Amino acid sequence: MELVILGKGGQGVLFFSKILAQIAIEEGESVKATEIKGMAKKGGVVEVQMKIGEGYSPKIKRGSADLVILLSPDLEAYGKTFGEKIFTFSKEEIEKAFKEVPLRYVNTYLMGIFLAKTGIFDINKALKILDEENQKSLLKGYAYVQSQNGDFTKRRD
Amino acid sequence: MSERIYLSGNEAIAYGLIASGVRFLTGYPGTPSSEILPTAQKLKLRYKFKGFIDWAVNEKVALEMAFSASLCKIKSAVTMKQVGLNVAMDAFVNSAYIGPKAGFVVVVADDPGPYSSQTEQDSRIAAYFAKVPVFDPSSVEEAYHFAKKALELSEEFEIPVLLRTTTALSHGKADISIDNLKIEDQFQPNFKEELKNWEKEVSKLAATPKQRYLLHKALNEKLKAISERNKIRYFYEGDILILSSGMVFSYLRELIEEYNLQQKVTLGKVDIPYPLKKENFSKFKRIITVEETAPVIELFLNTEGRRNGIVPSEGELSPEVCENILAKIGLISEKKTVIIPPLKRPSLCPGCGHRIGLFAVKKVFGKKAIYTGDIGCYTLALNFGVTDTVFCMGAGVSFATGMKKVFDLSGKERMVIGIVGDSTFLHSGIPPLIDAYHYRVPILLIILDNETVGMTGNQKTPAHTKSYEGEPLNSVKIENIVKGIGIEFVKVVDSYEYKKTLAVLKGAKSYLLENKKSAVVILKHPCIYTKEGLEKNPKKPVKIVEEKCTGCKYCIVEFECPALIWDKDKEKVLIDKTLCINCGCCIYVCPKKAIIEVKDGACNTW
Repeated sequence: MELVILGKGGQGVLFFSKILAQIAIEEGESVKATEIKGMAKKGGVVEVQMKIGEGYSPKIKRGSADLVILLSPDLEAYGKTFGEKIFTFSKEEIEKAFKEVPLRYVNTYLMGIFLAKTGIFDINKALKILDEENQKSLLKGYAYVQSQNGDFTKRRD
Repeated sequence: MSERIYLSGNEAIAYGLIASGVRFLTGYPGTPSSEILPTAQKLKLRYKFKGFIDWAVNEKVALEMAFSASLCKIKSAVTMKQVGLNVAMDAFVNSAYIGPKAGFVVVVADDPGPYSSQTEQDSRIAAYFAKVPVFDPSSVEEAYHFAKKALELSEEFEIPVLLRTTTALSHGKADISIDNLKIEDQFQPNFKEELKNWEKEVSKLAATPKQRYLLHKALNEKLKAISERNKIRYFYEGDILILSSGMVFSYLRELIEEYNLQQKVTLGKVDIPYPLKKENFSKFKRIITVEETAPVIELFLNTEGRRNGIVPSEGELSPEVCENILAKIGLISEKKTVIIPPLKRPSLCPGCGHRIGLFAVKKVFGKKAIYTGDIGCYTLALNFGVTDTVFCMGAGVSFATGMKKVFDLSGKERMVIGIVGDSTFLHSGIPPLIDAYHYRVPILLIILDNETVGMTGNQKTPAHTKSYEGEPLNSVKIENIVKGIGIEFVKVVDSYEYKKTLAVLKGAKSYLLENKKSAVVILKHPCIYTKEGLEKNPKKPVKIVEEKCTGCKYCIVEFECPALIWDKDKEKVLIDKTLCINCGCCIYVCPKKAIIEVKDGACNTW
């Protein structure tokens, strides 16, 4: 699987990708990734390309990513050069995250939403690598999606 | 015993060096090499072995210190980016002739692209120039193993070995298997034991030209022996041979498998691009080398590649470029080029002390003055017109000196202002300031002192009073150095004190015009990207008075703070509260006084 995670400095792109990598490793998959950070720190574009269970290099060819995860919606045109399939959080989801959990757990809340909506990884594997507070936040995000969908059938496609 | 951990290429190199016994590691920060040394420091804190792992004032000093440690039989290494090797070149070339007494590895990170460098130079060429063997790893795992192999080769032949990495590898990450580090038998080399029998060897360590000839001859013999055992590794079984090294090898391997070219192509992997031995390639129809960024293997083995335009001569050989190369060879059909939309240009962080300081400089000296900038975050001042030249480390000072001298000779009055950061000044800005003073060149040198090496990730500077281990260090005071040279006009001011800064700069301007001597103003303000810097930063929340904002965009163009954004609908400026750190500096910028401080924390009016 080839993933690209894009966002701005301070949005948690590196945290998000680190968690994804850890879950994949926990699942016994190999992970290769590359982090591209811009010169400017706060607000600069941060790009992570990640290959899970495939490849020899960490770089993803433009057009071949299975999923592009955008933490910043204004990067959509750039993100699409990696792949057609884009994942973004809705405004409501982000607002909900900020309302439901303390600031430092917003990212794990969003990760819960991401896992629930994509079904890329088993939620239990994710829980295994997180501490208690992060687990709670992840589950809240996960549950939020389920409550929205009624039933949990919205998988990868 | 081994364990699997998720490491970057740079971290893997640090693990490899420490695991093979390096106990003296120096370097100078430079993207993409900067994370190697701090990783080794973390290992030292974790395993508490004896040794020295810390930054040097520049790459030449770093290389000399590490090499001299190896002469004292301590395994040593030095890290830097590719342009840093230029700074250290004199020492590097010499080290090959003398040869280390214990393993000595020079780790150099190249930057094909370039992403954050002045040049795309290939350190494998520098290795050939210096007659030093060079390893070129193709994956994070190899980075770890080659760090160890490089040290072993260096030990065996008493020759420096270069370990070359590139941005893609240094910042690439993978879960790799590494040996468990054992403290008791590997991490406490007995310094006393090693040093007890240290004897002078003047004929080698202070060799005369005659002895140098003999050392050169011995070096050539070592290289010949190394080349004899340097074997190319072959993958797949086609009759077109593609030779490669470094990360590019991995891209090619992926593409060959993606397009099922295993029967058409043989991929030759060169672990050590120098010194190479000629091999018999008669069974292949064509031999082509694809390598970053200069022809090294191609020239030594006389293959196709850049010479016949198959491989581009500039830019990174990304997976997409490698795909095009396969198309040019005729193995696959031509691919459509993906047009990549440009991203927002980088700018100084909101609240950066450099921004308000350099805004003041522009205010006093105007747009006609020539601003010779230097290497650091503050290069980004070119976005708002306070940097006209960027060349190499320290050149902000020498360019100012040379240019001002020419204007003086021509009788044309033109202010020339050098801009240099604290770390860059200490790295290589001092010698040109000595010349400026000595030749009475009336330049103003602005030294931006944020007490850190900002651009590369906030490494320590010689101004710090404590090491990463908490040991006391002597703090080097820049103003003392400047005064010590003999410069009389030396002023230090916090750039956040805008009015005071303006007064100091105006004083410097009069001094230059009246006395025709060099002057130095040190603009001090801690980097707000560090935790302490941000915590201590003054808090002055601001708002924009909508009725007063005329939409002239002066603040956006001339101050360029990312937190000042344009509201298209209202045609006025807005503050992006997610980026603003409440520094309050923009209050001084607005010509209409539309940016005001919000008292009583009532800043929810944004």
